[in-house]
Amino acid sequence: MGTISLRGVSKVYGGARAVTALDHVDFEVAEGEFVALLGPSGCGKSTLLNLVAGFEGLSEGTLSFDNAPVTRPGPDRGVVFQEASLLPWLNVWENVVFGPKVQKLDRSDYEPRAREILKIVGLEAFHEALPVQLSGGMRQRVGIARALVMQPRALLMDEPFGALDAQTRLSMQALLLEVWQKLKTTVLFVTHDIDEAILLADRICVMTARPGRITRTIPITLPRPRSIDDLTSAEFNRFKALIMAEMRGGHH
Amino acid sequence: MAGPDTRKTTGSAAKPSLMELAGERLGRGLLAIALPLAVLVLWQLSGKNGAVAGGALPTPDRVWNAWLVWAFGKPGPMTLSPYVGTWADAIYFSAMRVAKGFGLAVLVGVPLGIIIGWSRLAASMVDPTIQWLRPVPITAWLPISIAIFGISDFGAVFLITIGAFYPIVINTTQGARDVDKNWIRAALMMGASQWDILRRVVLPAALPSIFTGLRIGLGIGWTAVIVSEMVAVKSGLGYVLWDAYYVGRMDIVIADMVSIGLFGFLSDWAIVRLERWVLKWRRLQNFNQ
Ligand SMILES: Nc1ncnc2c1ncn2[C@@H]1O[C@H](COP(=O)(O)OP(=O)(O)OP(=O)(O)O)[C@@H](O)[C@H]1O
Ligand SMILES: [Mg+2]
Repeated sequence: MGTISLRGVSKVYGGARAVTALDHVDFEVAEGEFVALLGPSGCGKSTLLNLVAGFEGLSEGTLSFDNAPVTRPGPDRGVVFQEASLLPWLNVWENVVFGPKVQKLDRSDYEPRAREILKIVGLEAFHEALPVQLSGGMRQRVGIARALVMQPRALLMDEPFGALDAQTRLSMQALLLEVWQKLKTTVLFVTHDIDEAILLADRICVMTARPGRITRTIPITLPRPRSIDDLTSAEFNRFKALIMAEMRGGHH
Repeated sequence: MAGPDTRKTTGSAAKPSLMELAGERLGRGLLAIALPLAVLVLWQLSGKNGAVAGGALPTPDRVWNAWLVWAFGKPGPMTLSPYVGTWADAIYFSAMRVAKGFGLAVLVGVPLGIIIGWSRLAASMVDPTIQWLRPVPITAWLPISIAIFGISDFGAVFLITIGAFYPIVINTTQGARDVDKNWIRAALMMGASQWDILRRVVLPAALPSIFTGLRIGLGIGWTAVIVSEMVAVKSGLGYVLWDAYYVGRMDIVIADMVSIGLFGFLSDWAIVRLERWVLKWRRLQNFNQ
């Protein structure tokens, strides 16, 4: 049994015209594994992630996290949102310690950790800054820091770098690789960028739309530790060719 | 590429000199004062022997003198006029009533608005009642207020509370409803309880609209205090207004009106300052900082 486990999970959005966003999906993420969900827009990637996060309920099937059914969101699953979604009236520091604070943890326990994480993500000089005063990349780093400070059992990231420019995106990917190689947390990472998925993940699950399904799982055997230099290696390009063929060809 | 041009524009946009800033402020101040000044001058010039329109309207100089006596005059033992040295009292009574009524409206309106905006159950229970009662103007509440509270301070406070309550509760509800879904999700993900969400997410997120409600509510509060003092209480600016009219003291009537305007303006200004301070994050988001 993995940390994250979906068995025959379906999600139907009601309304005038019901939409089957996920159709009997079986999916596992093992402890310490980095899994990327790759697929075109509207195939149900966010839906799957939101179910795991506990933001939405499933229509059918079973979904468990650490062998317990998921019923609501919680600090054991740190979520990183696409637009960071920081609380704009709180400064960087207050955003990062929001979680431990509402959980009523001991200050002496989380404050050193928060300081250290802010240093790792390169924001030690920005504790007092408000989110509006930060660049998109910096905001996203706060988003990651606020998830990490809770020491979650898994990180759920929904296109966290999707709104960033190419260069910032590269530096954020490098940062995430570095952090992950240190922490080895379980990560579920949603993206529609093939390069990003290959660079980061141990395993890529390719999704297709209408109905939302996982059609293929491709293990990425590039050696670790990885760096953004791998983006140009021959092996990298073999994986890329394979996945592009998969996405173009559709079902097998 | 027009290199020098670009540099010039960014240079002056980034750092206006102190002199430029002072000049701009002075210019804006002059602009703001030009219209009222022109009206005053015209008004003064169109009068004869201290009166305009065949005596119904006193000229500004007479109003000014009446105000001086009203504000700073020392009533002797034989003084019969109530308009000697009583201005501060009138202001105090009215302002205290507004403060009490408005404070009560905030205490009830903000929490209620947050709950209506947050909980669908509360919305369907309370919102319709509020919407039905809202069209009843505060003046229509006067008889019932007098019947219940008599000619007393609390009658006025009650009317102010009712008047200020609606804009506060409605704007707070709106603000609490418009909270970004992902802020709530982020807070839940970090382990926040329902109470944390209300206090630490919904309330701050609703503050911009709450302040809109406070400003409108306070304006209505000043209307309500004048109306109720004219009818239901025997002190304050509203009472003086009506009383002075009865005894033909139009100079006091006008001085009174100007005082209401001044204190209404000051209290609104205080709220705007508070808003600028509390909503710094919001101001930084705006195009016009
Ligand atoms: N709240 C909702 N109500 C109704 N339908 C929804 C809702 N959320 C998503 N859907 C539908 O479910 C399907 C999957 O949406 P989802 O957001 O999971 O896609 P996605 O793979 O994350 O796409 P993208 O890459 O554009 O973010 C879409 O057809 C979408 O229209
Ligand atoms: Mg999505």
